[in-house]
Amino acid sequence: MRPCTPAVRAAALVALLVIGMLSLPCESAAAPQAPRSSPRVRVELVSRERAIEPGGSIWVGLRQRIAPGWHTYWVNPGDSGEPTSIAWTLPEGFQAGDIRWPQPGRIPVGPAMSYGYTEEVILPVLLRAPPGLAPGTRVTLRADASWLVCEKICIPEEARVELALPVVAGAPPADPRGAEMIARARRSVPTDSPWPASVSVAAEAITLHVKAPDLVVARIGEIWFYPRHWGLIDHAAPQGVTVDGDGIRLSVARGALTPDPGTPVEGVLVIEERLDEGAARQAFVVRAVPEPRREDTQTPVLAAVSLPRALALALAGGLLLNLMPCVLPVLSMKVLALMRHAGDRASVVRWHGIAYTIGVLASFALVAGILMGLRAGGMRIGWGFQLQSPVFVALLAYVLFVLALSLSGVLLIGGRTVGLGHRLAERPGYVGSFFTGALATVAATPCTAPFMGVAMGFALTQSPATSLLVFEVLALGLALPYLIVTFVPSWGRRLPRPGPWMERVKQFLAFPLYASVAWLVWVVSHQAGSQGVAAVLTGLVLIAFAVWLHQSSRNLPARWRRAGGAAAVTVVLASIVLGAMIGGVSLPSPGRAPAPAGLTWEPFSATRLAELRAQGAPVFVNFTAAWCITCLVNERVALRSPTVVEAFARQGVVALKADWTNRDAQIADVLGSFGRSGVPLYLLYPATRSGQARAPEPVILPQILSENVVIDAINN
Amino acid sequence: MSNLVNRRAFLARTGTGVLIASAVALPRTVSAAAKVGEPAPAFSLPASAGSMHSLADDRGKIVVLEWTNHECPYVRKHYETGNMQAIQKEATGSGVVWLTIISSAPGEQGYVTPVKANELTTGRKALPTAVLLDPKGTVGRLYGATNTPHMYLVDKAGALVYAGAIDDRPTTRTADVAGANNYVRAALQAVMAGQPVKTPVTRAYGCTVKYS
Repeated sequence: MRPCTPAVRAAALVALLVIGMLSLPCESAAAPQAPRSSPRVRVELVSRERAIEPGGSIWVGLRQRIAPGWHTYWVNPGDSGEPTSIAWTLPEGFQAGDIRWPQPGRIPVGPAMSYGYTEEVILPVLLRAPPGLAPGTRVTLRADASWLVCEKICIPEEARVELALPVVAGAPPADPRGAEMIARARRSVPTDSPWPASVSVAAEAITLHVKAPDLVVARIGEIWFYPRHWGLIDHAAPQGVTVDGDGIRLSVARGALTPDPGTPVEGVLVIEERLDEGAARQAFVVRAVPEPRREDTQTPVLAAVSLPRALALALAGGLLLNLMPCVLPVLSMKVLALMRHAGDRASVVRWHGIAYTIGVLASFALVAGILMGLRAGGMRIGWGFQLQSPVFVALLAYVLFVLALSLSGVLLIGGRTVGLGHRLAERPGYVGSFFTGALATVAATPCTAPFMGVAMGFALTQSPATSLLVFEVLALGLALPYLIVTFVPSWGRRLPRPGPWMERVKQFLAFPLYASVAWLVWVVSHQAGSQGVAAVLTGLVLIAFAVWLHQSSRNLPARWRRAGGAAAVTVVLASIVLGAMIGGVSLPSPGRAPAPAGLTWEPFSATRLAELRAQGAPVFVNFTAAWCITCLVNERVALRSPTVVEAFARQGVVALKADWTNRDAQIADVLGSFGRSGVPLYLLYPATRSGQARAPEPVILPQILSENVVIDAINN
Repeated sequence: MSNLVNRRAFLARTGTGVLIASAVALPRTVSAAAKVGEPAPAFSLPASAGSMHSLADDRGKIVVLEWTNHECPYVRKHYETGNMQAIQKEATGSGVVWLTIISSAPGEQGYVTPVKANELTTGRKALPTAVLLDPKGTVGRLYGATNTPHMYLVDKAGALVYAGAIDDRPTTRTADVAGANNYVRAALQAVMAGQPVKTPVTRAYGCTVKYS
């Protein structure tokens, strides 16, 4: 397919103009033109209203219908391409706004990445009419649009599209087809981000931090940042995204230009959210303020460094993990055991070191594998993702508690019914050393050593092989001190002689573990509230009780010992069940869904709804939550819009807000009765007309709202 | 003198080093190993005239790299107006080496055989020092060339001093050539006068390079 020569293009344009002129006289009210067409892109100008009011403003849109396989471009086209441009020829006094660019998509072209549109796009523009227009006359709005359309090859195209509208006094009538299209287009235009954002620029990468504390990780799918300007990022590079309680962190390789340190970074963040009706892509305009440079940060702000640097940081992070309060006691126990081995042959000690190292490496590989698997499945999670599950946190607290009890001397070392990892770790052979490594890894999960975050952030932006390499180097760092002690006998000899002091050190080391348990309970309090804390604490008491049962029956006759053991196991199982239950109890997150301005919202209750229904009033129920991105966008683009507020007032619709931020059971029942497992859900109960025996059924609005959807529903 | 040669050899070696590093770290993207301000990555490609051409052969000379695709409307704008030929003439007339590189893969738009490449040069009265054929796209990816035309400038010391568009009018309108600010001409003048390039990086515009 060869591009047209200028001559052919000019001829085509003349032909189109002739057709346009011929068609003018036979049109009455609004004169939407037949779409201009090239084999690749058909364009037309659509309008929300059929007429125009003096001094009023009017939304129009350039609609491009794009042939399969072809695409046009966003305002930042990416690695190549040009955005569509519109040159307006308008009657005197008219003003045209800028194109409001709908959210783009990614279009990979070989190794390059383009940002643009496929299939169909409507580019909305707000036009303002001068007050001096005379009603009864007609105005012609003319747009010379030019765009580049590419498949593998690129073809620049242009067309003149026009719209002739009568001038009327008063509110102009809506054009249903145009209004629907404009509403759809404006729905896809990014809204201002409700969250503050910052950016940090490192040598190789930039990291965007969006402080959105209430996001629910499980609902979030893909996240992509489209910078407004060329040169900031490598458009085709993978974007490493982590979502946690602190918000979204996104790291991506830098582009060819050096950003000005004082200038905010602008772009569009597209977040995919999983809803009952399928995934919704929500787009936000982000203006990220540059962060002051920090050299070593505990948080993965400066992610995506070079590979050698990431490996060095991973090693350092792993080494530091040894000193963390949750790991140190485990490791100290191992060193104490090593002293016991002091009499053994050097090779035996060495093999213990190797077995331990393999244990750490294998467990890290397992955790990294699960992490990468879940990420490949679309979960946006980072290191420590396990801690987002209150069940896991509770079980970890139990394990550390048992370890602490054993260090305190409550539970005699060598006991048979302690935690599995610990029990295996206490086995005298190399298997024991292997499981000490695994235990050290488990105990290390809640700890993030300085430098580790940076290495992790880097690892997650890389290919699985590179990612695994970084994780394994981190593991090596964790294993290294012990490995060295076992390999360099002179170091081993420097360890103090075994003696009664060891018992005292061991007992002391229980306290960092108790502190870790206390911290984990605090974590649970955030995840599962006071109910969760009650469950975990009860579990801890039960475990202490089980330990006592086991210990006190140790020296009794076999029958009693068996009974004591069985009772201990039962109590431990009970505590585990308690821990597992908190997953289902409640998962509140702090805060409440923000009240949309404009409408007066009453809190929802089944009684209030029944009452209003009995009165026959129309009722709109907004099921929302602070952590629901789509709810937020719907409120901003549809429910706060002046026309919607006006429509509510005109029809006397009562607005109820059901805030599901903290998973209220009553609200959950209502959601369930509509076959929903989550928010958003929008219900409109129509007014009961006189003579109707029973109240009509509610209308379920789509999960993605636009002004038109709401207004149409209310007016019907 | 020997000092200078050593330095070049060093630059050539670092160029190769960068190539390997990029292949490991970022296999998927065009994100360049080539960075403005750093040594231009070394490469060797067959010329349409038959012989191999190495960037190392042009040591001590200013080199312009021009990525092209004769069917791309943006490229045609600059050839049909004679704009590209005019800069080629100015450059090669002052001893600058001008390498036109074609990275279109076989079967893709802009792919040419050596014979066809030579016909194009004669037909459009182009004046490059050589037309280099990169059908595998190796050198294109090495330099992060995304567009046609995509222009690069290498100074006498072998450092990359400009990467980006030919001018500041990202259109296919031939009328835009006359009033445009030609970045390549400005960069060439600066480098020949021994001055730093004022705008060393711009967004290249044009058609996507048709890599395999």
